[in-house]
Amino acid sequence: MSTRVKLFRWRAILPLLLFVALMVLLWVLFADAFARRQAQSTLSSLLGTEVDIASLHIRATDAAIDIGGLAVADPRHPERNVLEAGGITFDLDPIPLLKKKFVLDNLKLTGLRFYTARATPARPADPSSPSSKILEETEAWARDKFQFPKLVLGRVDSLKSLVLKPEQLGTVQAARSFAGRVDSVQGAFEQSLGQLQLKALADSSSALATRLSKTDPKSLGLAGAKNTAGQVQKAIEQVKQAKARLATLEQATKTSLGSLEQGLADVEAARQRDYAFAKSQLGLPSFDAPNIGAALFGQQSTNYFQSGVHYAKVAQRYVPPGLQPWNRPGPKRTRMAGTTVEFPKEHEDPRFLLKHGTLGVAVGAAGQNLFKGEVSGITSQPSLYGRPATLVASGRLAAESPVSIDLAGMSRHFGAAPLDSVNARVGGAALPPIVFPDLPFTLDPGASNVAFRFAMTGDRLDGAWELGAEHATWSADSARLRSASLVESTVWKVVSGLTQLHVRAELGGTIASPTIKVSSNLDDAIAQRLRGLVNEQVAGAEQKARAAVDSLVGPQVAALRTKVGGLNTEVANRIPAEKGELDRVQKSLEDQLKRIAGGGLRLPKL
Amino acid sequence: MLAILKLLQSIFQTLHSEGTPGQVAAGIAIGAGIGLTPLMNAHNLVLFAALVLLNVSFGGGMLGLALFTPLGFLFDPLFDKIGLGLLNAPVLRSLWTAWYNAPLVPYTNFNNSVTLGSFVVWLATVVPLYFLTRRAVLVYRERYAERVVNSKLLRAIKASKLYNIYAWFVPQ
Repeated sequence: MSTRVKLFRWRAILPLLLFVALMVLLWVLFADAFARRQAQSTLSSLLGTEVDIASLHIRATDAAIDIGGLAVADPRHPERNVLEAGGITFDLDPIPLLKKKFVLDNLKLTGLRFYTARATPARPADPSSPSSKILEETEAWARDKFQFPKLVLGRVDSLKSLVLKPEQLGTVQAARSFAGRVDSVQGAFEQSLGQLQLKALADSSSALATRLSKTDPKSLGLAGAKNTAGQVQKAIEQVKQAKARLATLEQATKTSLGSLEQGLADVEAARQRDYAFAKSQLGLPSFDAPNIGAALFGQQSTNYFQSGVHYAKVAQRYVPPGLQPWNRPGPKRTRMAGTTVEFPKEHEDPRFLLKHGTLGVAVGAAGQNLFKGEVSGITSQPSLYGRPATLVASGRLAAESPVSIDLAGMSRHFGAAPLDSVNARVGGAALPPIVFPDLPFTLDPGASNVAFRFAMTGDRLDGAWELGAEHATWSADSARLRSASLVESTVWKVVSGLTQLHVRAELGGTIASPTIKVSSNLDDAIAQRLRGLVNEQVAGAEQKARAAVDSLVGPQVAALRTKVGGLNTEVANRIPAEKGELDRVQKSLEDQLKRIAGGGLRLPKL
Repeated sequence: MLAILKLLQSIFQTLHSEGTPGQVAAGIAIGAGIGLTPLMNAHNLVLFAALVLLNVSFGGGMLGLALFTPLGFLFDPLFDKIGLGLLNAPVLRSLWTAWYNAPLVPYTNFNNSVTLGSFVVWLATVVPLYFLTRRAVLVYRERYAERVVNSKLLRAIKASKLYNIYAWFVPQ
């Protein structure tokens, strides 16, 4: 007899409960450390830079989390932090946690500091993380799209040799295709003229007139005279038709010759462009004011805008618009991470939402630091929340000299194209020195007013960066300055006496073709002094460039001019000659017709 | 080496335990689920609770876990492809969306390609695995169990110094 096996092992409930209790105990003991490591890892991966959290404490009974000592490293400068926060407290809404959604009702952030030095350089981010890739792409984009003229200036007292290749010059291609057009116009003219068969007509008409001149009209009789008059009238009509066709041909040929003149002008324009190209190959510096501004402050401006583009792209990567499922890398673990797919749904909470947060700085004596800010609507799925994320902050930080800050930001990733924008104005901030790597001097702007505006809407860019300093100082590297070129030392003479500095850079266009315009109050002064210095050298360079181009394209262009001139002459000579011949034949025929009519035949008037 | 000895001992003890072949096979099948799928997911708590509460071989479960964990690592790229295919299938989108927004279900991490892929593969193979294992245990016990117990190899292993070292760490 077989015994029936029981389905449940009820006596195992107690060990299972003990196991669960052990798990809870482990959670109580290690949850904070686990959550801190997880938060560090997630934020580092998200921002593409090292994020450190000194402490994290989960207050389960209050549904709150306290974070202490948050430091976010600058992804482009590992030796400094972009942001440090002394303390952060989150108030969690516990209900959405059931659905693994983190809805923070409130956030309090204190002890906020920006751009602080790190004790140890930040670890490089995982190069395979999306943020690192975005940073790499943005850096490559900036290098590719923004190239500023160098103000190295070099030595302008000697010009390097210039060797050009025919395929580099637009004139060669333009001349080649234009020569074909000239041949085609000439061929068409010859062919059309031949098709008119003017010589045959003139010969037969002349022969008729000659024959009639030897005939007595009275000997023809009435019928013969009438018949002969008909022949003459027909011949005259043919001559008139030929003259009309010749006039049409003349008109068409004149039009073609006009287009050939335009073609010659185009070839000439190509040659002018080749002169400019050849001049650029000489490496001669441009001393136009806009180039001076771009050369001095272009890189500095690009760095600011590049940061804006980077953070906007990170936001667009991690906060996708719309309600479509979207893929993100799975969690880091011993097993393969795989891909985690989000499935947002209308009227549900987003996966992450910070409804409201306050920022504050609590450094120094009360009243010295009055910096406050608010953030709202920061979410991973803005289409579900339906409102843009905003940041507004303003105040004054009393360091050695007071610094005023106004900051506003918005991120709207729903509706039409996603928009990320920031508007910042800082007054009285001591900026770090601006180094010009190619020049033997450095600029210390001192206490400055800085304004920065940046917006990326879809792929459209709009931004401006302004710097105003009233007490800027310039310092030279004396060793380098001694060996500096005439131009470099001239620039130094101009700038070293200036204390006021005003720089403005404007960004526009699209990601694919951005535009940047940089200007400063130094531009005109430097440009004027430099132009006076190097006028003679510039003229020499221009002459050299022209000679190099002319040696390659001069004979071709001259041959074209001769060809077009020859065609002009041919048309100008041949058409009047043919027309004169036809006129002569017509008159001769008309004379004979009158003679026949005078012989007794009444003919209709011509 | 000690890990291999431990595995061999686990296999041996399981095969020679008093559990029926069905209990051993069910334990192995449940353990395979824990081993094949990434560990830190809510569904593994359910599987572990089932292993403890159901009258199946716990040793079989541990054996299944030990045998199928390496297979899980090995087949992760396949699980990733299967899981991603299922998650991105338009016909299943409404199901995933409902689960994603349901209480507790998201803690299973079903929306991760490796987790879903490995779980689906386990589901598809669990019944054949159960019957195959049960048959294998039956055949073993009928034909080989006694011979293995009396084999020279087993006796040699038990007499070896390495086994003695291992035995120090085995609770009695």
